[in-house]
Amino acid sequence: MAVEHDLETMEIPVNMGPQHPSTHGVFRMVLKVDGERVVELVPHIGYLHRGAEKLCENMDYRQGIGIHDRTEYLAPFHAELALVIAVEKLMGLEVPERAEQIRIIMAELNRITSHMMFVGAFSADAGVFGTAFTYAFREREYIQDIFEEVTGDRTMYGYFRPGGLAWDVPDDFVERVRAVLEHTRQGIDDIDNLLTKNEVFMARTRGIGAMSAEEAIDWGLSGPMLRACGVRHDLRKAQPYCIYDRFDFDVPVGQYGDVYDRYLVRLEEMRQSVRIVEQALEGLRDGPIMPKKMRRRLRTPPGEIYQGVEAPRGEYGVYIVSDGTDKPYRMKIRSACFANLMGLRDMVVGHFVADAVVILGSIDMVLGEVDR
Amino acid sequence: MSSEERLEKFRPGRDGHEARKALRVPPPRGSVFDLFKEALPDVPMEAYQAVKDVVIEVSRGDVIRVLRTAKEDPRLDFRWLRCLSGVDYMDKGLEVVYHLHSYTRNHDVTVKVRCPQGDPRVPSATAVWRGADWYEREAAEMFGLVFEGHPNLVPLLLPEDMTDHHPLRKDNPLAEIEEWQGDRLAGRAEEGAGGEEEG
Amino acid sequence: MSGSAPAAPPREPQAPPEVPARREKTGIEREAERLTPVEFDRGKAPYRRVLPGVLLAPADTVVAMARKSSLWPLTFGLACCAIEMIATYMSHHDLDRFGIMPWPSPRQADVMIVAGTVTKKMAPSVKLLYEQMPNPKWVIAMGACAINGGPYTRYDRVLQGVDKIIPVDVYVPGCPPRPEALLDGFLALQRKIMAERSAVG
Repeated sequence: MAVEHDLETMEIPVNMGPQHPSTHGVFRMVLKVDGERVVELVPHIGYLHRGAEKLCENMDYRQGIGIHDRTEYLAPFHAELALVIAVEKLMGLEVPERAEQIRIIMAELNRITSHMMFVGAFSADAGVFGTAFTYAFREREYIQDIFEEVTGDRTMYGYFRPGGLAWDVPDDFVERVRAVLEHTRQGIDDIDNLLTKNEVFMARTRGIGAMSAEEAIDWGLSGPMLRACGVRHDLRKAQPYCIYDRFDFDVPVGQYGDVYDRYLVRLEEMRQSVRIVEQALEGLRDGPIMPKKMRRRLRTPPGEIYQGVEAPRGEYGVYIVSDGTDKPYRMKIRSACFANLMGLRDMVVGHFVADAVVILGSIDMVLGEVDR
Repeated sequence: MSSEERLEKFRPGRDGHEARKALRVPPPRGSVFDLFKEALPDVPMEAYQAVKDVVIEVSRGDVIRVLRTAKEDPRLDFRWLRCLSGVDYMDKGLEVVYHLHSYTRNHDVTVKVRCPQGDPRVPSATAVWRGADWYEREAAEMFGLVFEGHPNLVPLLLPEDMTDHHPLRKDNPLAEIEEWQGDRLAGRAEEGAGGEEEG
Repeated sequence: MSGSAPAAPPREPQAPPEVPARREKTGIEREAERLTPVEFDRGKAPYRRVLPGVLLAPADTVVAMARKSSLWPLTFGLACCAIEMIATYMSHHDLDRFGIMPWPSPRQADVMIVAGTVTKKMAPSVKLLYEQMPNPKWVIAMGACAINGGPYTRYDRVLQGVDKIIPVDVYVPGCPPRPEALLDGFLALQRKIMAERSAVG
């Protein structure tokens, strides 16, 4: 749609400042705009840098669970899982079967809530303000009720411990989760019917922000962003942690790597999560949830480990260097959105300003993770 | 060596990394390290087996060559730079740790480079992966590392005008209590602070 | 030219006045500059200046009732508390039934809910947004981080409480506070608006 003109144009810097209505947190982009097209983009992060890594060095591993919760605040169970599995592997702990099953149920339900939040916020960016947002949050509330019954908190759980779980689930857990899954299936179908074949939605998201597989691998993307580009890589299948290798589920892969594909990948992942939860509920047996002899002070032997999990946004990893005490010497948090955000510039340059918002929404950013 | 024996051998405290060195286990036969030795026979590398990965330590001069070979050699095929972090070992130096993963071969490796505390320069891995960009910026501002060849090594997470000291270094303690921060600001501002930077 | 006063002796060229050399600001001074609080001035509403004294009390009541029933918060979610704030706006714990409508622009907003950790990098933006809001305005500090730094208080890049830079009216504790707690905070703010109606313009 090129228009020939003799006008003298100027490239204007536009600041999408730390506070903007897209509800993605405190992220700032400075766009250089020529007419409506974005010519250059410089992202500025660090407005939520709270020193999680430094604080974790002065805290016991179990206190660090609370910090990890608040770092990845939309998928806290995955963040806790990374930390807890890393500590268990360092110490050589055996986790009982029932604890693993419950961990997987919680983690997959958390994946559903996180993707619901994505659908809500993303559809608000794409223009459907309100409808899909409220649908999504209704589904989140049902699942958060379960989390509250089990862990006591709606959002910051602090439930996993190195070795297993903090306490056992209530007696009616299985029936409650089954009842909620009915709602969840219906909710996913509602959102599907509302958005997927919606012409306006497709016009706003098809062909926008495409990234090729080579570029995605070079930038280090992971999670749905990478799978939408066509790379079939899921940490749950490639390097199974917990007992994911026992479950039967598919990994949705996109084709073009554009925004629409990312939305489709996440929608399908929600359905696969429901499948995994059902299988885990079938296989839930009675048993202990912590190993027999757990010390009070969790002293890890000197060593180091990097453990990544497949969080809803990508790979969330924890690199722990332990010097033998009960506090880590160095805890580095590898967050998914940090790497995913590096590719933002390549995705946005050449598109319109309005598309910049949609592409940013499709990255499904959690600033707590990016800035730590 | 079992977990209990390991715990007995260490000395509690921040000196544990010396104990770690004594407990090093060489990597098993047929591990990734053998592939590295085949691909780079002339590069001096030390390796040991950590809990999950094989860790390979190289020197500053060789690190870019090692990383590039790791990415491009078909037997290794480490196309994904998972994580790049810095670690502060105080007077033993600063270390940069690269975690790599291969999609096709499904193996991992950890590559480490150590540089002395007084001379924290490391060549930049952006020559090999573009995705090392922000990791290096963050490590630079948190530890004071200088990555040579990085296109844009400006502070990433810290405020632009408050990069006086590097937070993740071990000689920077955490703030103590609530009034500490206010007192520190008031006291230092009164002193005049003629060029005196907070250390 | 006639009868003019004797010419003054030629003045020596004066040395230029002493200008102190500009000293580069240190990190501490820049930090202190960022963290100075805003000047707080509630202002005086026009109706107070115009109405006769006998009508002031009922006018205050009516105006306060109008203000408290239609508080428009600035959507200022910074961190994890933003998620609970959004959940409070949504259908399950509806805030719209109280007349509370989230509004993205500070120019038309009444309340600023500071939800999340305020870092020193973000502090100037918070002050700017507060100053951009027209009077009457209130601030709710939601969550432990906005009250006193919360779990991150010991990190020196974190502002230990947003009341160091802007005046706060209601503190809602929790990490994150439940939606019912935020609702309670709004109701407390409404009571405060009614209680202060004659003291404030």
